[in-house]
Amino acid sequence: MLRFIFVKLARALLTILLVMSFAFIVLRLSGDPAQILLGPDAPQDAVDAFRARWGLEDPLWQQYLAYLKQLAMFDFGVSMRDHSPAIQLVMERVPATLALTIPALMLKICIGIPAGVYAALHRESVADRGVIMLSIFGFTIPSFVLGLVLVLIFAVNLGWLPAGGQDGWHYAILPIATMSIGGIGILARFSRSAMIEVLGQPYIRTAMAKGLPWRDVVWKHALPNAAVPIVTLIGFMVGALIAGAVVVESIFSWPGIGRLIVVSVANRDLAVVQCILLVIAASMVMANLLVDFAYGALDPRLRSARSGK
Amino acid sequence: MPITRRNTLRFLGAAAGSLILPRHLMAQGRHRSITIAVQKITNNNTLDVWNEQSNVGERVFFPNLWEGLILRDWMGNQGPVPGLATEWSRPDDKTIELKLRQGVRFHNGDELTAEDVVFSFSDERLFAGTEPAGGTTLYAENFQPQNAKELPASIPGIARRLWPALRGVEAVDKYTVRFHNATPDITLEGRLYAFGSQIANKRAWDEAATYADWAAKPVTTGPYMVEEFRPDVSLTMVAFEGYWGGRPPLERIRFVEVPEVASRVNGLLSGEYDFACDLPPDQIAAISAAPGLEVQSSTIWNHRVTTFNKQNEILADPLVRRAFTHSIDRQAIVDALWGGDTVIPAGLQFESFKTSDMFIDGWAVPEYDPELARDLLKQAGYKGDPIPYRLLNNYYTNQTPTAQVLVEMWKQVGLNVEIEMKENWGQIHDPEGVKGVRDWSASNNINDPITPMVVQFGPNGEAQQKRDYWNDEVNQLSVVMETSVDPAERKRAIARLLEITEREDPAYTVLHQNAVFTGMKSELNWKAAPAFAMDFRASNWNA
Repeated sequence: MLRFIFVKLARALLTILLVMSFAFIVLRLSGDPAQILLGPDAPQDAVDAFRARWGLEDPLWQQYLAYLKQLAMFDFGVSMRDHSPAIQLVMERVPATLALTIPALMLKICIGIPAGVYAALHRESVADRGVIMLSIFGFTIPSFVLGLVLVLIFAVNLGWLPAGGQDGWHYAILPIATMSIGGIGILARFSRSAMIEVLGQPYIRTAMAKGLPWRDVVWKHALPNAAVPIVTLIGFMVGALIAGAVVVESIFSWPGIGRLIVVSVANRDLAVVQCILLVIAASMVMANLLVDFAYGALDPRLRSARSGK
Repeated sequence: MPITRRNTLRFLGAAAGSLILPRHLMAQGRHRSITIAVQKITNNNTLDVWNEQSNVGERVFFPNLWEGLILRDWMGNQGPVPGLATEWSRPDDKTIELKLRQGVRFHNGDELTAEDVVFSFSDERLFAGTEPAGGTTLYAENFQPQNAKELPASIPGIARRLWPALRGVEAVDKYTVRFHNATPDITLEGRLYAFGSQIANKRAWDEAATYADWAAKPVTTGPYMVEEFRPDVSLTMVAFEGYWGGRPPLERIRFVEVPEVASRVNGLLSGEYDFACDLPPDQIAAISAAPGLEVQSSTIWNHRVTTFNKQNEILADPLVRRAFTHSIDRQAIVDALWGGDTVIPAGLQFESFKTSDMFIDGWAVPEYDPELARDLLKQAGYKGDPIPYRLLNNYYTNQTPTAQVLVEMWKQVGLNVEIEMKENWGQIHDPEGVKGVRDWSASNNINDPITPMVVQFGPNGEAQQKRDYWNDEVNQLSVVMETSVDPAERKRAIARLLEITEREDPAYTVLHQNAVFTGMKSELNWKAAPAFAMDFRASNWNA
């Protein structure tokens, strides 16, 4: 088991390092921050001074080594825009994003999974058809369309909710709804198909043949076996908690990490972009690790395979 | 940040807290507060006039926050009017003396004195030891920093562009200052009301721990002062009761950053915002049709131009460039893409040049004449080889559709122009590969024909520095424009510069003047200035 954890952690660190290296190179090859930040009319003296200040004239490998050295000392650099520490800028925005993504994730899980399971248990019924139809609607409509439609209905026409901003809890309702509707649809469809597949397995027939109550068959035999693919999907959703609200934050002018990503990438604010990517990569990797450990808890076969038994 | 129980609780608390922030900034008392939705508040996350030299910066700074010794007449002819100085005179060609308005207070209660003016043009604040062109710095010993502040690296270069030959500012007495230039300069007054030359409080600078602290809340003399600045989110300014021009009419002005056009429009329609800025022309009809709303359009001190790269073998021949200029139906672009809500200017000139009698009457952009364009291409022996057009995706309003229209118009006369989409300015200027035509805009910064002509296309302008363009006579005339104090000689020089750069050896061709569109509640009875600036002083509120 220790070896398993060690290998997983080593892979996680390697993944983060690769992401950071890739981002470092791509960002520097795709545009000069001095030109972008200072604009097309900036005098050459100003551009030269800016490049010298931020070490942009050094060879790429030198910049890369300096960056790795900084990272090793947990120095994430400062923003080229206003000289604020990059990590401070990023961490200031994380709570606002989590304020949307965590409730949205809860809604996805609390509505999507029961709806999918219910549809599977009542296959070919009106309820099943309804769930399928609504889930297709949910995950096919792009969030930027859905968000604007919700604003038109609830803010412009009905006047019940604000169109955007972050001045109170009710400002979060439409963004959370926009984010969760698609995820509910995906989880509902996934749960339904996973349950249908499990319900057709011989061990379900065996359980029913030995006279177990239907409730026990579902709770003790069907659901745990259907949970593995669902947990995988939830793992992706947990990994996207930090970075999964880029579009919605833009539509609703919500000052979270998604907005910071867009602005920082557009301005090639290198330290901030790299810091954001580090946080996102770390959260993705952490979510994957959690899913791996959850597999072991859900499926004894995987547990015994890891322990070599 | 160590992962401790306390930090974890703080973090979770912040996440929850962000949902229950109080609905603040409601109208208080008898004065109204307004909310303005903009695409961008600032580009560089500071409120420093020298670090945020952009259109969006102009909107949040002027005339509500920053003020200069001389002010721009925002709602009038855009000429100079007394500001923090009540009068000025010219002891000689290199010097301007100004009498300060007495009794002006900064937002921290300090009285404006010559010391603040001297500081505002000091090495510590701007020039960082850079020497003026044609002379040496005066009074360097007066400006020792009070604490260590890292001035953004780009500021000295930007400051020297506006004040290339300023040797220093002398405090003659408490209410009199003299600006000493190394070279004769007829445009010193224009430079004093240009973007950047505004006055900051010295004590506030000295007391700020870092540049970032100061630049997030600069202390100025404007009618509104900074209450809260959340970069990329919002800027709230509150009325300054001690304003020298009388109590401002609004309680608070709140700029909120709403990047999506549709969201700004929706917020305006739902009544959440009082103003929605940065509207594309295709949104005008929808907003104008809504009850209680209107759209104000205003042309700004900025022209959209297409520039040529003379290093390109085909464009090296001025006949080909002339063909480009004559094959554009500018009025069709203005009508189709701008709804007729902007104008085609008289070449690279602005109407406001008339305030100093530097406008060349009778000058116009090259006429639309496809036959002439075809004939010019025939004379040049152009064989239809491709000419690259490096293009950004709507950096300027309507940029991409305009480019598509242009390419079709050029195709009609036989010019084979190929669009190459680029992501940023670094890629536009990349010296690798072949350049051809590209987009640019030309700004009037000091209300003198020096800007944009000499500043952008002269020997030190970007067009020549990037080797897009060169012309010996243009360079000689640029020197006349910069150093002559004879208005008649300067006027002849700018007339000749227009002839060369727009007809004989084209460096660019003007397409149209840029315009901005602001949606607003009609009840506010407010007028947009011909600028990005939004005037919320008493004279323009419920006027």
